[in-house]
Amino acid sequence: MKKSIYYSLLMSAMMSVAAAEETRQVDKHEHGVGELNIAVEGSAINLEFMIPGADIVGFEYEAKSDSDIALVNTALSKFQDFENIFTLSSSGNCNLVDAEIDINQGDEHEDEHDHEDEHDHEDEHDHEDEHDHEDEHDHDEHEEEAHNEFVAHYSFTCGNVKEIDRIDFPYFTTFPNSGELEIQFVSEVGSTSFEVEGDKPFIDLKGKI
Amino acid sequence: MLLKLSLSSLYARLVTVGMTVIAISFSLMLYMSVEKLRTSAYTSFTDTISQTDLIIGARASSVQLMLYSVFRIGNATNNITWESYLDVVNKEEVDWAVPISLGDSHKGFRVMGTNKDFFARYKYRGGQSINIDKGYLFEDLYDVVLGAGVAEKLGYDIDTPLIVAHGLQSFSEHDDQPFRVSGILEKTGTPVDNTVIVSLAAIEAIHVDWSTGAKIPGQETPIEEIRKMDLTPKNITAALIGVKSKLTIFNLQRWINEYPEEAMTAILPGAALQELWRVVGVVENLLLGISIVVIFTTLIGMTAIMFSSLSERRREMAIWRAMGASPRTVVGLLMLEAIFISVLSILLSVILLFFSLSILQPWIDYNYGILVNVEMLSLKDMYVFMTFIFASIIVSLLPAIRAYWFSINDGMTIKI
Repeated sequence: MKKSIYYSLLMSAMMSVAAAEETRQVDKHEHGVGELNIAVEGSAINLEFMIPGADIVGFEYEAKSDSDIALVNTALSKFQDFENIFTLSSSGNCNLVDAEIDINQGDEHEDEHDHEDEHDHEDEHDHEDEHDHEDEHDHDEHEEEAHNEFVAHYSFTCGNVKEIDRIDFPYFTTFPNSGELEIQFVSEVGSTSFEVEGDKPFIDLKGKI
Repeated sequence: MLLKLSLSSLYARLVTVGMTVIAISFSLMLYMSVEKLRTSAYTSFTDTISQTDLIIGARASSVQLMLYSVFRIGNATNNITWESYLDVVNKEEVDWAVPISLGDSHKGFRVMGTNKDFFARYKYRGGQSINIDKGYLFEDLYDVVLGAGVAEKLGYDIDTPLIVAHGLQSFSEHDDQPFRVSGILEKTGTPVDNTVIVSLAAIEAIHVDWSTGAKIPGQETPIEEIRKMDLTPKNITAALIGVKSKLTIFNLQRWINEYPEEAMTAILPGAALQELWRVVGVVENLLLGISIVVIFTTLIGMTAIMFSSLSERRREMAIWRAMGASPRTVVGLLMLEAIFISVLSILLSVILLFFSLSILQPWIDYNYGILVNVEMLSLKDMYVFMTFIFASIIVSLLPAIRAYWFSINDGMTIKI
């Protein structure tokens, strides 16, 4: 009996050490570099933007003052109309079927992480009791460093997806603070990547869909 | 008449004109071969892997992961554990996965551990599969399959015994466990040609008595015993992954990149290649820039030669004038001459290019794995030629105008 308690103590100690190591990862984050993923399959085309707050509203802390909150809300409303951000060639005959616009700031970001891997979620719960104090400490630190990030997903279905030969990005004029966009693109033809900047705000997709 | 006159005038100065033509054609050939090599290298690179959606490996830059997993250039920073690999494979988005284990070598060729799925899943040049040329894929634990290049360069055939060396540049060999060639693959023009392929279990087997990079002294597990052991790998270097739907690739990629238990990176092969190409592109443009400068230099050289020949040709021009040629005709003759020289140079450069390419092509393919396409000239080449002819007309204007003044001033008598 006693032995098993020792074992379980040992186990939990080992696991919590492991857990502490495992969770110490931070996403890369670079001002002036927004990410965009584009996937095409069948008649569907999906675009997902992940843009650092600095590129959109000029700051990266969590919006707390009224003026900051207003800035964030205006930015979010600009994302609501995708034509402020990008346009697909009209010959593709595409209709927006779904759009999700969000901003991850500080804690929210962490929360989302947990949601994604649900089985991990439970595991972590177990250890949190033991390490409450430390965890809180970590959180504080996180909050200071937290960067907000605009995340926007758009899904389209297209009458003629192969006719899309170009995507333009009014994004660069809509948000004057924006830097470059790093684009990963995948379709049945294969994958490729682009780097787009404001002086040449479009990508050429001839032969890539 | 004018044409014939100009041609025979050129013929009379065969040596100087010939040298000019040779100089220009070499510079044009330099430009064209740089251009050909760069387009061929690009297609060779992008053709190396297709229909693989993601490549996963230990946390690294996407280009690095791409280079060591597909091109066998450089080394992995870390391996990933088999458990993490299984976690990825069990994701519902994943359609298929092929594990790869690197790190050993045979006579300078990389040894890759994988499973039979590799031969079915690895595609190149827009979906072509690897075919077996001789023999069969590995059946026994100690069977190896050779890429066409390895078999050719080492002169190996089916049943040739071979020993795998530990590490890439190493004197310690796994000589207690000899392998046997069971199959040789057809030539693909990809790095697979230069790879020695064994099963993952074999990689595990040859490291049974090894610990942290060295053989444990005195310990030698008999082969019969190794065969009975569980040879599931403990770690792998990378894995090729196919997804069920392209629309889920980025979700899976994010999941892998944020996988909490182990630092991993997932890349889209095409995207990483494009990224690499943006880096290489700088050097390419530099080469292209240099060859354009060389063309300009030879153009200037041509003008210089025309200028210097003018003074010795004052007599010739006087004769032209005597025969009734106007000063304008003299200008026309000189420009015609420039056109002749450039057209001749272009023809010679094309002949030189195809001659040298057809000789060098097997060598470049053999040593660098780049298949240079010796095919007809592209539209772009035609544009370059037109521009070159136009440029030579422009630069020939300078000596032509000088000749015009000479012929007006000199008339038929030469005042020196």
